[in-house]
Amino acid sequence: MFKVKHFFQQSWLLIVVSFCFGLLIAVANAAWEDRIRQNEEDKFNNLASGMLTEAASFKTAVEKAELQTDKGKKVKVDIKKAMAANGECVGWAFVCEGSGFADKIKLVLAVGAGFKKIEGFGVLSSNETPGFGDQIKNSYYQNQFVGVPAERLKLSKTGNPDIIDSEIIAISGATVSSEAVVKIINQYVEQVKKQLQNRGLIADDKQ
Amino acid sequence: MTNSSEEKAGVYKETLLRGLWRENPVFRLLLGMCPTLAVTVAVKPALTMGLSVIFVLICSNIVVSIIHKLLKPHLRILMFTVTIATFVTIADLFLKAFVPRMSEMLGPYVPLIIVNCIIICRAEACASKNKLSVSIIDAVGMGVGFTLTLCVLAGGREILSTGAIFEIPILNTQSQGGWFVPWAAMSMPVGAFITLGLLLGLVNSITKRQAKG
Repeated sequence: MFKVKHFFQQSWLLIVVSFCFGLLIAVANAAWEDRIRQNEEDKFNNLASGMLTEAASFKTAVEKAELQTDKGKKVKVDIKKAMAANGECVGWAFVCEGSGFADKIKLVLAVGAGFKKIEGFGVLSSNETPGFGDQIKNSYYQNQFVGVPAERLKLSKTGNPDIIDSEIIAISGATVSSEAVVKIINQYVEQVKKQLQNRGLIADDKQ
Repeated sequence: MTNSSEEKAGVYKETLLRGLWRENPVFRLLLGMCPTLAVTVAVKPALTMGLSVIFVLICSNIVVSIIHKLLKPHLRILMFTVTIATFVTIADLFLKAFVPRMSEMLGPYVPLIIVNCIIICRAEACASKNKLSVSIIDAVGMGVGFTLTLCVLAGGREILSTGAIFEIPILNTQSQGGWFVPWAAMSMPVGAFITLGLLLGLVNSITKRQAKG
């Protein structure tokens, strides 16, 4: 009994203040939550519509699909269907993530309607080294992914980046970041394709 | 009566100016080095970081000053941390909601304000020993001093690395047919260390001259 009394005598202020602060954070979060979600959605839509130019809107086709990152961590991803103005499916877009050189890299990946070709990727967030790793945001690296087959990509240190095939040429001085992007895309394309095939949203390869 | 109000004004002025020069958190106390080096690639993120720190400093100093008589000595650091973490979380949510681009540019450095020594230092050295008005003025002085320092550092780095300030082109770069070759190194960590070192040297030299004079 004495111990309980002593505990409250010592920590009552901390308990009261923690409760008040928790309430304050909850209020701030409730007030701005929608805006924050909207900002994230806007960024996703901007990046995805830049790659899928015919898309007029994005509709969630698979909600919270369970996928695995390169480190084996399970994540839940919304796979969005890009719709043209006439309602036709013009592609798929989803967020994918994995480890980069400095921190986690989050990408938006766009794939064509039949899941045959990658339409490109955009960087949602990354903290790669300025001047080196952050060149994954540059068009000369990103352009190499536009139109490549949606299959396992390979990173190469030398080659012609203008040739569009499954061989991606690494950024000089930023091999780790270049490799991370290829790894993330390889990891997700395969899994998302399977998820869509299982749900009958795209044709099976065997058909 | 006049003497007392003059004395008060003197204390307030001294407290306000302390953070700007004599006890400037970056140049004189060498506190908050992590954001100083990391977010000074350009003026906009540096200013956003500075304003966030001012907000957290003022709010935490207000709370600590109000409750300082109730604080148990062995629990005070815990109380300071809880207080600072709350206001940092609010600042982080605000940036995410209203300035998402800056929030993205600052990345993990906004949540890391929690471990910024300037804030806990002011809570311990000033707010926990003084009344509310002095604590607020101290927070403003230290916060503005920190923000100005970040902006000076970021201004130097941004102009040398891109030829622009506040993303407004000032120097005509070679890619636009001009003469200026941007120094890519200034946008990298090495640029932050060099600029900070030079500015610290300059401040030390001015201080020595002032002491001799």
